[in-house]
Amino acid sequence: MNAALVSMVVPFFAAMLVLMWRPRQQSWLVIVASIVSLLAAVMALLSVIDSGPQSLNLGGWESPLAIRFQLMPVNALLIVTTAVIHLIVVCFAASSHHCQPIKQAFWPLALLLHGSLVALWLSMDLFNWYVTLELLGLAAVALVTLAGQKALRAALDYLLLSLFASLTYLLGVVMLYGQYGTLDIALLATLTEADRVTQTALLLISAGLMLKAALWPLHLWLPAAHSSAPTPVSALLSALVVKAPLFILWLLWSRVAPSELAVPMGFWLALLGGGALLIGGWSACRTPHLKTLVAYSTVAQLGYGLLALGLLLHWQLNDLQAALWLFVVAHAMAKTSMFLAAGEIQAATGKKRLNSLRGMTLTMPVALFAFAVAGGSLIGLPPSGGFIAKWLLIQPMLIEPAYWPWALLVIIATLLSAAYVFRVVSQGFRQSSVSATASEHGKSAQWLALLPAILVWLMALFSEPLLQLMDVFSA
Amino acid sequence: MMTDIQTILPVAIVLSSLIPGLLIFSLKESQHRLRITLNLAGVFSKLLLVGWMLHGVSQGQQFSFSITFLPGADLILQGDALSLQFVALSSVLWLATTIYAIGYLEGSAFRSRFFGYFSLCVSATVGLALAGNLVTFLVFYELLTLATFPLVVHRGTDAAIRAGKVYLAYTVSGGVLVLMGVALLHALAGTPDFIPGGYLSPVVDQHQAGLTLAFVLMVLGLGVKAALLPVHGWLPQAMVAPAPVSALLHAVAVVKAGAFGIIRLVYDVYGIETLSILQLTQGLMILAAATIIYGSIRALQQTEIKKRLAYSTVSQVSYITLGVAMLGPIAAIGALVHLVHQGLMKITLFFCAGNFAETLNIHHIREMNGLGQRMPLTMAAFTVGALGMIGVPPIAGFISKWYLGLGALETGQPWILWVFVGSGLLNAAYFLPLLYRGWFAKPAVEWAAHPQARRPASVWNETHWMLLWPTLFTALLAIVTGILAGSDFSPLAWAQLIVAREFAP
Repeated sequence: MNAALVSMVVPFFAAMLVLMWRPRQQSWLVIVASIVSLLAAVMALLSVIDSGPQSLNLGGWESPLAIRFQLMPVNALLIVTTAVIHLIVVCFAASSHHCQPIKQAFWPLALLLHGSLVALWLSMDLFNWYVTLELLGLAAVALVTLAGQKALRAALDYLLLSLFASLTYLLGVVMLYGQYGTLDIALLATLTEADRVTQTALLLISAGLMLKAALWPLHLWLPAAHSSAPTPVSALLSALVVKAPLFILWLLWSRVAPSELAVPMGFWLALLGGGALLIGGWSACRTPHLKTLVAYSTVAQLGYGLLALGLLLHWQLNDLQAALWLFVVAHAMAKTSMFLAAGEIQAATGKKRLNSLRGMTLTMPVALFAFAVAGGSLIGLPPSGGFIAKWLLIQPMLIEPAYWPWALLVIIATLLSAAYVFRVVSQGFRQSSVSATASEHGKSAQWLALLPAILVWLMALFSEPLLQLMDVFSA
Repeated sequence: MMTDIQTILPVAIVLSSLIPGLLIFSLKESQHRLRITLNLAGVFSKLLLVGWMLHGVSQGQQFSFSITFLPGADLILQGDALSLQFVALSSVLWLATTIYAIGYLEGSAFRSRFFGYFSLCVSATVGLALAGNLVTFLVFYELLTLATFPLVVHRGTDAAIRAGKVYLAYTVSGGVLVLMGVALLHALAGTPDFIPGGYLSPVVDQHQAGLTLAFVLMVLGLGVKAALLPVHGWLPQAMVAPAPVSALLHAVAVVKAGAFGIIRLVYDVYGIETLSILQLTQGLMILAAATIIYGSIRALQQTEIKKRLAYSTVSQVSYITLGVAMLGPIAAIGALVHLVHQGLMKITLFFCAGNFAETLNIHHIREMNGLGQRMPLTMAAFTVGALGMIGVPPIAGFISKWYLGLGALETGQPWILWVFVGSGLLNAAYFLPLLYRGWFAKPAVEWAAHPQARRPASVWNETHWMLLWPTLFTALLAIVTGILAGSDFSPLAWAQLIVAREFAP
């Protein structure tokens, strides 16, 4: 537990340090803080594997009053993922030449984002989540504005929608508090009944969360915000920030909601997930711009999360938890890789459109390869993390013939994802009219973009311990 | 008791092409020598390892390697008689094609990329041959799709990109169907190792619908790579790829991967008994027969050499599927031996087509007039391949057709003989005119006057030696395997060994 707290506090502390001390080499401080946070996160994960879930009451108060942090296998895994991705992204930001102009304000905000994410993963009550969501949202909006004038519009939309979502969320929380007098998840789980007020409160909270997570059909702000943000920011937002509301949604419906409410809701969530997969995928196949394509792919891939969550609730099948969280982790890695690669390519060519990718296998082979490898995991090609998650997701669908339509949905979604990934890759193989040669420029940034893509394929090799980790949790 | 060697050897066979491939990616274009050295080191070490394993398996040794992967489905690489039939074929032909490709691509761009992906393709092919269960098979099957794509679009022209997209649309869709089939079978019966006689008979009563659906999904998915009707459309398109790619991948590795998958599915997953209960093979048989005839008719309509060969592949690969679907031991021998024989003959034909195109810029059938005077050796190799395809003894193709025909009679399906007769006639109709033109027709321009064709000093110099020798080598193999079919070391003998093990009571 202490290790997890270190992993949370170090980024906050480093953010303060950067802001107050303003050292000349901020990047080094940030990278060191990220490494420390990662090490602490790994230790936290190991301690969970060793001795099971742990909780901590801040200030020693007992549960209705206290702020309670809990460390479980799932959030330990998420903390590690967060730290890994932050480390890679800050290294990328430090090494990529295209990220120079945004540096000054980027570092403390990225740290703030990191810290609030870890705090959110660790929290187990509705009010703490509200606070961390707010922190997260503000840091995210501020990060988007770093792209300058052209991103202001998208950032403003993001800000307003995020505030609106917070209010909706808060309203639901107040209703629950009025009804049950507590906000702690574990306590609520023992108290809730399937009445009107509870249902309305849960729906309000869910609507707020879905808006924040850009879950279809509340996704409309995401493509603009994620594609206009600076590249490292796009990666952080798509890989991590949108997953936070999903985490709350999961705990809310699987723990707090009584099963009379959760089972029908699960069906609707799964349907929405299907909508996200189809329409997000279709939009990604249509858009002419590279980063927008990647952003739409996030909309689509979040559909898998929602589908897994929905079916988990609808069928009351805890096995799907592993599918849900492996999707989240695999997507986080793959999407980081994709955005970093896409951003690097876009910065190098200076053009946003997809057809500027001509000849990229020659000029930027590593970046294009990173995009393709990460894409392979998004499609769910074996042996990647995305494949493992998809495999776990479709297993229960196939047992009963009545569930086969869900499998059909997954087939179509897979084909759509293959279509948009290869749209990009095949452009890269097209002969370029200008004879270009491989530039040494930005080599290290390209390799950093490739790193998470390789990690997500390595996940397949470690699928056994990962699944064991999840099983520990459901047991 | 397994020794270390018996565990390591299957992995080593896959790695022997994978590692050189990955190293080649990192090379600069100009590191010509090093690239060739790596390639040849990979080829020869693979041949050595495969030879070792062949010897072991014929002695009855077991080779198996496994690591955990999915719940209830490990990644398993193992060498049994059936996998070695395919592994040996791909390794020998990889040798020929590597030399051919070095000659063919001399001085062109992107060679590191080309040879890198080429080695990956071979690794994926060998991996799927050695796969010990369906999930492992699936992994390598999808990798093969990915690794082939860059080779199809290698030239980077608009036509190549378009063909690449068609190729992907077919193969990725097929891959998804296979994935679904594998996952469905896993949900119904788990994923045990491949085993002669299959492992589904205990659940056949319980899950008739599920097993039927899984079979249909898998056959459609595998049928994409095996170019079965109606999902064969990518193969003729993919002919824009460079000649070595068409030769090894589209005549051997990729299409055979599909056919090999069907063999595994029928014999080692479902088993003959289960399939007879489910009555699924009748449909597969009709589909294969229709593909044989359809491919031949379409081949007849083509005017480009490579396109005609491509449709001929569509037709010939389905002989394997047909032989498997007949569910009889003799037909199985025919199918398994055709897997090798068709590979030898078709790669020869594609090498020849590449030689014509490279040396004299000949792509169309009408330009072949009098080619035998200018390139007698290549034309002779072409003749061997073409006659073999028609089924003229003593070339290898005759042997496989003989067994397939006997098998049709043995399983009481005499109508299949008519398919073979019809296809044989069509084969003759689309190959003999080429031979006639090559040997007997008068060239449109005298060869001496041809812009690219100074008369070579000696007959052995009709084209670059690296293009000529692999062609002659594979043509020779096609004759030798036919003549020596009765010996102990022929593909036929090996096919009989496989069938003896598969059909053992």
